[in-house]
Amino acid sequence: MSFLPRLSRPVCSSAARHFSSSAPRALATPVAEKPVLNKEFKIYRWNPDEPAKKPTLQSYTIDLNQTGPMILDALIKIKNEMDPTLTFRRSCREGICGSCAMNIDGQNTLACLCRIDRNGGKDTKIYPLPHMYVVKDLVPDLTLFYKQYKSIKPYLQNPNPPEDGKEFLQSPEDRKKLDGMYECILCACCSTSCPSYWWNQDEYLGPATLMQAYRWIADSRDTHTAERKEVLQNEMSLYRCHTIFNCSRTCPKGLNPALAIAKIKMELAAD
Amino acid sequence: MMSTRALGLGSPLRKAIFSPSLARNQALIRTTLAKRAIQTESLPPSAAVDILNKQRLKRPSSPHFTIYQPQITWIGSIFHRATGGALSAVLYGFSLAYLFAPGTFDSVHVVEFVAGLPDAVKYTGKALLAAPFAFHSLNGMRHLSWDMGKFMSIKGVYQTGYTVLAASAISTIALIFM
Amino acid sequence: MASSLLASSSKRALARRGPSFAKSLLVARPATTQSSDALYVPGGPIYKGTVNDPTTFPTPSRVHGSHHWSFERLLSASLIPLTGAAYATSPSVHPVLDGILGVSLIVHSHIGFDSMIVDYLHPRKYGAFGHMATWTLRAATVGVLVGVYNFNTNDIGLTELISKVWHA
Repeated sequence: MSFLPRLSRPVCSSAARHFSSSAPRALATPVAEKPVLNKEFKIYRWNPDEPAKKPTLQSYTIDLNQTGPMILDALIKIKNEMDPTLTFRRSCREGICGSCAMNIDGQNTLACLCRIDRNGGKDTKIYPLPHMYVVKDLVPDLTLFYKQYKSIKPYLQNPNPPEDGKEFLQSPEDRKKLDGMYECILCACCSTSCPSYWWNQDEYLGPATLMQAYRWIADSRDTHTAERKEVLQNEMSLYRCHTIFNCSRTCPKGLNPALAIAKIKMELAAD
Repeated sequence: MMSTRALGLGSPLRKAIFSPSLARNQALIRTTLAKRAIQTESLPPSAAVDILNKQRLKRPSSPHFTIYQPQITWIGSIFHRATGGALSAVLYGFSLAYLFAPGTFDSVHVVEFVAGLPDAVKYTGKALLAAPFAFHSLNGMRHLSWDMGKFMSIKGVYQTGYTVLAASAISTIALIFM
Repeated sequence: MASSLLASSSKRALARRGPSFAKSLLVARPATTQSSDALYVPGGPIYKGTVNDPTTFPTPSRVHGSHHWSFERLLSASLIPLTGAAYATSPSVHPVLDGILGVSLIVHSHIGFDSMIVDYLHPRKYGAFGHMATWTLRAATVGVLVGVYNFNTNDIGLTELISKVWHA
């Protein structure tokens, strides 16, 4: 399985979604009881109040027929009904906030977009994003990730406002260059899947930040393209990328950070 | 709550509970009790960073390559590096050996030594050199095409990846029996 | 007019309260703006600057940036025809080709090893050990260049050696 490219993306079906309450609802017509389908979830636990205790995998078994279809539904059910100390980030439950990024069965993805594998015989392992300092359980410290994002000045730099004082205009072709980059939600799945980022994240910017760097380099309205490229001219910030492709392989939004980084390299070489 | 509101008792009740004098008394009782029960420590605002830094130093680093799913992307990449490193190590090893002991490691001696080995060892050795050479060369071309912007999609990565693996296997066999 | 009046009066009010008050205003910033640079260890859990400061970039250098990258790609690409030519021709007839292939392979190897040191043993993290690795590699590469030069001039040359060993 693992050596196949992921061709279809897990999609939420809203009809199948029902939240974790296992209490039977009073319906006018009785519904046949669903059979029990137990599945084991092994979840990384570390408690900052007991820092000396080594991180462990804690096992929880829940009935999938009393759970929503996504991993996030299972996590919320476990937290609500079994163990309120289980800690994870979540917000929008529809793949637009990027909070619930974690490593599920070995791949970085958003828990809210990842379907539960309904094979009850196989457990599902959930870890925090790889090679990050853990605040608690599934919550990694993303401070450095955000500091790096800030370093590439992720905003329009243009000292010459348009004549009419309204907006910077752009041709449809120029606007099209930003497709596939502006959609990034900064969930950090790609950066934390990158071995280069694992070993050198204090100096290497990582795929998410580099794709945003290129998003502003490619923007026809920005006048600071040369400066944006110049800061990447060193051994570490950009060139620790060895085109491994874990980033594009894991992106839960289907974006291609590796392509953006390749374009930066080609543009820098042509300068 | 509903019943009190229905009976019209809501507001008088609330008035009784939250009457200023009573509230003040309760607050007084609470603070005096708390003072006896809890020890507090006064800290300057700057202490927050020290507390956070102490906490940061205790944080474990989450597991990475041991738990990440083996995928042709990063497994292929580490094999590219390992095969390149191994071949370069052979080149460096031989060249340095010849530099320091040209009498022992000259071509005549080396060829004589290899010729004296049993066939099984010869073919194993050839396979151990041919396979990394084939993979590193072909995967190197894959890397060069990426650097020119070709095959830069997940589909391209997987198609070229399996193509390189198959071509490496064929080239290895061809090289062994060359 | 009104705003400038307000601003000037508030400045005066601040001044009237004396320098100690103004200073305390500057010092009593929120805790998150405090810096922990002294505790910074590369790759460690404590960061340079505050959570609101962006990370910084090394001094720009095209030699370490795009020129290094372009050179590495050109060299790697040229290894393809060089290897093919070395295989197709006899090295005793084309000693120059054999020499170019040898040097190219060594530089290619050196860049590869160097890349591994930067990735896994960078001096900023591994200090003296990292520096030692870098200098050991440089010394080894020089030794290898001399060794290959000796072998290609005094002996049969790399291509011929590989060919002979392969058919031994």
